[in-house]
Amino acid sequence: MYLYDAIDKDFLADRAAEFRGQVARRLAGELTEDQFKPLRLMNGLYLQLHAYMLRVAVPYGSLNPTQLRAFAHIARTWDKGYGHFTTRQNIQFNWVKLGDAPDILDHLAGVDMHAIQTSGNCIRNVTSDPYAGATAQEVDDPRVWSEVIRQWSTLHPEFSFLPRKFKIAVTAAETDRTAARAHDIGLKVQRGPDGDLGFEVMVGGGQGRTPYLAPTIRAHLPASRLISYLEAILRVYNRHGRRDNIYKARIKILVASLGAEEFARQVEEEWLKIAEGADLPDTELARIRGSFAPLDFAILPPRSDVFEAAKASDKAFARFVRNNIKAHKQPGYGIVEISLKAPGATPGDASAEQMEAVADLAERFGLSDIRATHEQNLVLPHVKLDDAPAVHAALAAVGLATPNINLISDIIACPGLDYCALANARAIPVAQSIAERFADPDRAETIGELKVKISGCINACGHHHVGHIGILGVDKKGEEFYQLSLGGSGAEDASLASILGPALPADKVADAVDRMVEAYLAIRQDGERFLDTFRRAGMTPFKEAVYVDAH
Amino acid sequence: MKALTANRLIDGEVVFWRAGQWVERFADADLFDANDPAAEEAATAGKAQPTVVVDAYLIDVDQGPAGPAPVSYRERIRALGPTNEPDHGKQAEGGDAIAALQAATGAARSTGRVDLIRRK
Repeated sequence: MYLYDAIDKDFLADRAAEFRGQVARRLAGELTEDQFKPLRLMNGLYLQLHAYMLRVAVPYGSLNPTQLRAFAHIARTWDKGYGHFTTRQNIQFNWVKLGDAPDILDHLAGVDMHAIQTSGNCIRNVTSDPYAGATAQEVDDPRVWSEVIRQWSTLHPEFSFLPRKFKIAVTAAETDRTAARAHDIGLKVQRGPDGDLGFEVMVGGGQGRTPYLAPTIRAHLPASRLISYLEAILRVYNRHGRRDNIYKARIKILVASLGAEEFARQVEEEWLKIAEGADLPDTELARIRGSFAPLDFAILPPRSDVFEAAKASDKAFARFVRNNIKAHKQPGYGIVEISLKAPGATPGDASAEQMEAVADLAERFGLSDIRATHEQNLVLPHVKLDDAPAVHAALAAVGLATPNINLISDIIACPGLDYCALANARAIPVAQSIAERFADPDRAETIGELKVKISGCINACGHHHVGHIGILGVDKKGEEFYQLSLGGSGAEDASLASILGPALPADKVADAVDRMVEAYLAIRQDGERFLDTFRRAGMTPFKEAVYVDAH
Repeated sequence: MKALTANRLIDGEVVFWRAGQWVERFADADLFDANDPAAEEAATAGKAQPTVVVDAYLIDVDQGPAGPAPVSYRERIRALGPTNEPDHGKQAEGGDAIAALQAATGAARSTGRVDLIRRK
């Protein structure tokens, strides 16, 4: 992973000291709330329903054990003993006190972390593939390009006051684990017709109240021209993006109103004005690439006798293998997904003890590498199959061995009205009610891949527009109701979900999901996922199942 | 009825107005009759303490089955804590006053009224 140099470290220390001064001036009355609010937001500090919330950036979801232990320390010292991993691969602390925030930023700076650009109308943390460097699918390591973008976009003076926030995703594999088309810019690393490295550039995706999937505006951008091309996109957006209406300020609205072709034309025109000198020098790229040098993998046979024996003798481990251990590019290794979605748990929450346990496992068995996923889970990307039974046992000991990755109980949910000042309805209890309904692991496996995503308001932090089943909490005359939608996907087969019908009260949502699942099981054909069946059969069978009692 | 609420500046804690001071428990809050000018006077006085609280505003309060409670679900969650963590927030204290808030239903509690489910 990328390592900070002395200049980076000094900068973070200075920034934390600056914020300490700003907090002192606010408490002394020298700054009004209106003056102070943008300053605290620039340091990721929001005021929510019960307390301040600190959102800490996890660059492209990549962590080392020291950093995860720092999160555990923050959770235990300044919060209520846990943290919440978000749908943007970040972590949030829900119970932060303003007076403690400078100490927390100091502690983060001590492990090369910060909360800069986790709020505000700037370029946010880059989303990337949590399997980066581990999957055989990738044509290049997307973390290299994510890091290039991180360095370019951090404190970029021209792009610090955009019309609205801006999110970039980088994926390099056929399987999209980043929801690239749901981002302001999605970049897919690929080989061009001549074998040269480059990017498919998608621009203008996003969720919120007006969801769009990003159209491709350039089929193949040479990798060496990435920064100048991004700069051209951002300049067109900065110039023409709407600043008069917050609901129309995202780049997706600009792209949709101009049309992808005209937007692309304007970008190309702007790009011509930017000299190649604006691009990253090869030496700098090589330096960054050096931070992601291939790891020292052991040479192992693809088959592990220890692993196979454990699978044969331990049903719980066998189930964990089926659902949570994914193929690694290196023979004898596996990618271990750690579900933060145990039945009854709050999706994305991890206790200080759990974080420390994962940090220990990463050190002992995982080449000290940890990832956060946008689906609110953690990953140990490099585990020897020989060690997998021990990792499974250690995870089980701290309640982290839930074998449900990509199954119906692996639900994305935003904090919702339990914490968030913007929310209209709760999301967490709805997720819990569905997870409990489908707690039987045999049934969940029979159902197969089914992505349920829940947002507590139209801002769609819970990604409901790209859920196979999306659930949106609405305030209907003062009551919590939930609008169901079907057929979304944030993966490589991206699509936006369509609304099923009238919204349901909270206590009917799990029933409705159950009925739709039964309808799917009744009509699915060979190998179909829920999403495939929906795409073939359409809305009618699911509508019939949910609203059958309405007559 | 109305009550005056805000978040305390130093820690974000939800607080309520009582006789010119900010207190942490809803049960201790001053309750004003809907048309009592004292409510707006309290709001003015509360907003004049910008180094003590953030965003002071009046909320609607109604008589619940076990005592007064905020009308909106959002305000009941603020007065209690998150529903997914019963040991976090003000609700952790327990007791009759908390039970009274938890017993309140109304504007924003889902009732499961199936008659609202109609096929389009």
